Amino acid sequence: MLDERQLALKPIVGESVGHNARTVSNIRALTASLFGVAAGTLGLESLPGFFFYFVGTAIVSLLVFSLKANGDASAYFFRPVGDFWIGDLFGGLMSFVLTWTLFYGLCKA
Amino acid sequence: MAFAASLLNIVGIVFLAHAVYSAYEHSLLASASQSPSLRLPNESDPKLSLPIDIALETLFSVLLLCVGVVLSSPDLKPIQWSKWAGNLERSKEARIVDEAGVAAGNPYAQLEERPGFWDPRGAKKAFGLWVTEGSKSGSS
Repeated sequence: MLDERQLALKPIVGESVGHNARTVSNIRALTASLFGVAAGTLGLESLPGFFFYFVGTAIVSLLVFSLKANGDASAYFFRPVGDFWIGDLFGGLMSFVLTWTLFYGLCKA
Repeated sequence: MAFAASLLNIVGIVFLAHAVYSAYEHSLLASASQSPSLRLPNESDPKLSLPIDIALETLFSVLLLCVGVVLSSPDLKPIQWSKWAGNLERSKEARIVDEAGVAAGNPYAQLEERPGFWDPRGAKKAFGLWVTEGSKSGSS
């Protein structure tokens, strides 16, 4: 479906694609550290902590989808499922673990 | 909108700082008790259990901050060329020509208005037509 003919008929603006990806990854990095702070403060351990991260990321995806993308992900992302819903799921995981362990150590150890 | 977003961010940061500090102070209660033999059972050990109000405040402040971060981030741009160019042509600030030879508004304007492709014979013909039409309408 997204073959060369399709792209020739409906060209894609590369600059906008890059801008959108950058904006979303900024949001994800910021909120992932915030989720880490919350998980460490709440004293979550092992699996519930990661579950908390994935639930939080899903909430952020929904917020971006409704507030920034106006409910139409395909207008702002080349492949909505791959780029937006699943693509950045693991992007903020390392910053999440970083702040999670830091605040867990501050509040519990 | 930007003001509301920064207000949300500030309120969220204040709440989050308060919640984390409360959790930290609460964890210090354990070391304040006299001896390890007087250790409380798991449920009431302040190191392991957090009061429900601190937990709720943490979750609430993180939710506020999430909404604030999303609202204060720059707007996404449409990736389809037609929509992007349409927005560009409709926006007023993009149509201001501030440099000679640089197309404003229409992203194809540079291609559409090349002086090498200007048709002087056609322009002369059109001008002649316009003059004769004008003289006809002027005489009648």
